[in-house]
Amino acid sequence: MSASNASSPIGTSPSRGGGLARRALREAGIGLALLAMVVFFAAVAPDFTTHENVANILTQITINLILATGMTFAILIGGIDLSVGAVMALCAVVAGTVLKLDSLSDPVAIALGIAASLAVGMACGACNGFVSSFWRVPSFIVTLGMLNVARGAALEVTNARTIYDFPDSFTAFGTASVLGVPVMFVLALLLLGAGWVVLTRTVFGRMIYAIGNNEEAVRLSGHRPFVFKVLAFTVTGLCVGIAALVYMTRLTIANPILGIGFELNAIAAVIIGGTSLSGGRGSLVGTLLGAAIIGVLANGLILMGVTDFVRQIITGLVIIGAVILDSYRARLAARGGA
Amino acid sequence: MAAEPILRLQGLTKRFPGVVALDGVDLDFADGEMHALAGENGAGKSSLIRLLAGIHRPDAGRMTLAGAPYAPASPLDAIRAGIRVVHQEFNLLPALSVAENLLFERLPRRRLGFVDRRAMERDAEALLARVGLAEVSPRTPVERLGIAQMQLVEIARALSSRGRVLVLDEPTATLTPREAGRLFEQIRLLKQGGLTMVYVSHHLAEIFSLCDRVTVLRNGVKVETSRTADTDPGALVRQMIGRTLAAQAPQAGAPLGREALRVEHLRPRGAPPGAGLDFSLRHGEILGLAGLVGAGRTEVVRAIFGADPIAGGRILRDGRPVTIRSPRDAVRAGICLVTENRKEEGLVLPMAARVNTTLARLAQVTRAGFVRRGAEREATVRMTAELAIRLSGPEQPVVQLSGGNQQKVVLAKWLFGDDAPVLMLDEPTRGIDVGAKAEIYALLGRLAADGRAILVVSSELPELMHLCDRILVLSRGRLAGEVARAEFSEERILSLAYSQFMQTE
Amino acid sequence: MDRRSFLAACAAAGTLAAAPGFALAQGTGAQTGRKPVVGLVMKSLANEFFKDMQEGAVRHVQERGDLTLIPLGIQSETDIDGQIAAVENLITRKVDAIVIAPADSRALLSPVVRAIHAGIKVVNIDVAFDPASMKKHGVDIVFVGPDNRAGARMSGDVLAKALGRGGKVVIIEGNPGAENGVQRKLGYTDAISAGGLTLVDSRTAHWETEEANTVFSNMLTAHHDIQGVMSANDSMTLGVVKAIDAAGRSGQIKVVSFDNIPAIQPLLKDGKVLATVDQFGAQLAGDGIDNAMKEIAGQTLTGWIRTPLKLVTA
Repeated sequence: MSASNASSPIGTSPSRGGGLARRALREAGIGLALLAMVVFFAAVAPDFTTHENVANILTQITINLILATGMTFAILIGGIDLSVGAVMALCAVVAGTVLKLDSLSDPVAIALGIAASLAVGMACGACNGFVSSFWRVPSFIVTLGMLNVARGAALEVTNARTIYDFPDSFTAFGTASVLGVPVMFVLALLLLGAGWVVLTRTVFGRMIYAIGNNEEAVRLSGHRPFVFKVLAFTVTGLCVGIAALVYMTRLTIANPILGIGFELNAIAAVIIGGTSLSGGRGSLVGTLLGAAIIGVLANGLILMGVTDFVRQIITGLVIIGAVILDSYRARLAARGGA
Repeated sequence: MAAEPILRLQGLTKRFPGVVALDGVDLDFADGEMHALAGENGAGKSSLIRLLAGIHRPDAGRMTLAGAPYAPASPLDAIRAGIRVVHQEFNLLPALSVAENLLFERLPRRRLGFVDRRAMERDAEALLARVGLAEVSPRTPVERLGIAQMQLVEIARALSSRGRVLVLDEPTATLTPREAGRLFEQIRLLKQGGLTMVYVSHHLAEIFSLCDRVTVLRNGVKVETSRTADTDPGALVRQMIGRTLAAQAPQAGAPLGREALRVEHLRPRGAPPGAGLDFSLRHGEILGLAGLVGAGRTEVVRAIFGADPIAGGRILRDGRPVTIRSPRDAVRAGICLVTENRKEEGLVLPMAARVNTTLARLAQVTRAGFVRRGAEREATVRMTAELAIRLSGPEQPVVQLSGGNQQKVVLAKWLFGDDAPVLMLDEPTRGIDVGAKAEIYALLGRLAADGRAILVVSSELPELMHLCDRILVLSRGRLAGEVARAEFSEERILSLAYSQFMQTE
Repeated sequence: MDRRSFLAACAAAGTLAAAPGFALAQGTGAQTGRKPVVGLVMKSLANEFFKDMQEGAVRHVQERGDLTLIPLGIQSETDIDGQIAAVENLITRKVDAIVIAPADSRALLSPVVRAIHAGIKVVNIDVAFDPASMKKHGVDIVFVGPDNRAGARMSGDVLAKALGRGGKVVIIEGNPGAENGVQRKLGYTDAISAGGLTLVDSRTAHWETEEANTVFSNMLTAHHDIQGVMSANDSMTLGVVKAIDAAGRSGQIKVVSFDNIPAIQPLLKDGKVLATVDQFGAQLAGDGIDNAMKEIAGQTLTGWIRTPLKLVTA
């Protein structure tokens, strides 16, 4: 009732402020939490704010940030991808195998290696999306299956061996930096920015949010949610392929057991960033903040000298806290509070 | 009925936002009688049952059970007081055994809280015997029973606690005639045992063969209570409709154009075999689709729209056959559907009005895969003005809008882009206040005058009679007849709607 | 990698071949029947070390030619249930002996005791069963394996010598709760106290390269004056060395390690890693099988048969 007489019929001002302010507010909360954390660690751990440590943190969150960017697509459309860690290992070992081909010159091997990683990631992602939406199986189950398939394939490819000794021109990116900022982090930020544009400005992004909120309404408006779901998971896979390359340049190895549990960190970043696990609500800005919170927490607690076990407990509590916060936001949204 | 009634309702009133569901109903149920409730969809039968069952509480009036005030605050209260309701939908737990389902609320316990299985099965057998299910083992999982058996288990469960009044809400809705026959036998036995029963059914034949008295409700008001021996189905139908509404002045509407949509032998999923539907709809025409709840109206429009797969038939658009396997195909063929549940199926509630307005015609405001927000806002502002939608701005989430304004956004979704020559609407005014209703009626009139072909499904006969040029009546999935505007009368339409129920089975 | 394994990689990526899981690889002479049958219960074959060990065992059995081997692996390092199922499977198949690398030094004991009662000879390799638990069950199973603690001590001593007394070091631990990880940490602390080093911090990186990289960079920030690192396996050492490189302190911080996997060789050569320890995993299962054959032949073995360890330096 209150809604209908909230204001006069349209025409006065295309008020875009309302929506933006509301969205900004949602992320402001997470940003404040991050800021508080940074201030706290800066106060108790003197080394926290050194340039080296900041660069360290940026390097350390890069892989998770890239994975979480892809994960945001899967979660926003109402799914989830548990296979990212395992697929990342598969991407890495396939790319690593290509890189080690003696018959190729370095530049060719690098180009093919990059292409292989991206292709494997996208193929696995498309497969996840296709199976889960074509047969209407929860993506939770499908990607759990993919996790095993990809991990097994990675072990099969390498016979459980570590691949190492890549061309220097390839691994040089891992430690390179511009103006003191790690190049790989800049790459992750660019990726995130591109993702943000896709989600907020394109038809694809529009469909992701709409399907995440109400797939049936989208279908009954004459669209094919199937296509967009496959695409969304393919984007997730693409990000995994990129993350695998970042891993390889940074650690100069590729082994089939890398990335175990990375999916959980990526999901945690997305959720802490305020994206709803049930889909349709959230943003990549939140994901960036979420990944930063996880990275800062891990770094700061070690700097403070907190033991491993306590560190794990605190990280868990932060995730639970974020989800509780999200439920409050959801309730506010349901009440239509602007 | 000289004896003191076992259950007495006095001035019972229940209001829901925008609707008075029950308006000062006085009703007595005599001890041991079988009393039928009859009335159209929305007449107030369900509301009355919900009050009896303790699901809702009355806004005014009181109930008296065996001389004592009866004001259940919860379904559990109702059960404790001895009023048991068998609802239309089963409340059984399919994986559990018959015995567990029957005695779920009061499982016999041994010390330490263990269930006494032997006592439970013994009690269950006794209950099953009372409803004529002695052949069913109490250990059978409920999911392995047939529908009729489930219905009887529901009744047996209602009998498990000492009940004084048993309410049966459309117990035969899902049964075959043979199953229904078996159920009636058991109901008669229960009646002979002296149980008071309230019986709700669309099947007039059932009412006349089983019940002692029948009360007709209309628009929340009691019309009359009569002994079934003293009345007949025709009289009952007249009471349900009430005074024959003066036929509405026919719409000025433009002369009808050529055929826009033709449906041949259409069988929605789950339609009875041989019940193919044939009809056509012309440009400029408003065609109504009437029928009782469950008659298959929604299934028809969903089938045409490709929302559900069809079992057979073909569809022609402007004379050309079209293949429609999904809503996407339908939209491409210029057929749109305003669905029954706008919240679940029509809108993306948490998202902005702008997003919802352009949802079906996104291509109109995009360039190279990018959404042109400016154009989108402009379009929303234009559609908002055109349909007089009350909105704070294009960014307002539609969840915040009233029902009427939400429905207008759904209409805007299809009308934006001007590409909806065939518009189907399923219960377009459900849950909408009177003002918005009138606006939607006027809008549909304008759209028809512009040459659109419009198909309206509605449970409200006055609505259809007001809007339509013609009304098709469905009864149990079959086309029972067609009524032209000149012949419009609720009586005629309702008797067609009941036609498949009148035949004795 | 050569062209053949590249093709295998493509095939595997294309068909997404299933995980190896319960491999029932079989050597020669499966049908001979009269030869004694020995079951080999391994840990996760996803781990390079155990993969090598199993392949070594299969080769060894081919060379001996006088027994039939049934090798069984499990999905992950901590898949205790999988190992219990494997032991039970072997009891049912009435093998003559079981050689087992237990995933847990206590939980696996009861199925193994059941095997002993069924008349099956049991030889324990890699990680020793807990002596107290064995006493409680009234068994004394022979253990054939390296002394992880002594090995770590050897590696740690190299670092102690290089740094001199008062050198500041950190330990990167394996999985908390993994017996070999615990033993290696003990060996490192032995070396620290013997060499008069100062232990600044000790944290787990769960055997994982990336985690070691992250954890160690953060330790380095917290403790600028770290001079040496003792890492519980080579995979983690790879991450530690990259962190040192990234911090621009190559050559200033010295690292010792354990396992001697191929990927560590270039780092040894460059001097980025001072030492690692080879426990000859490929031969370990073979040694276990040899001892199992002795038991089948009637010998009774108890206690700890130490297998060789070798300190590997540049």
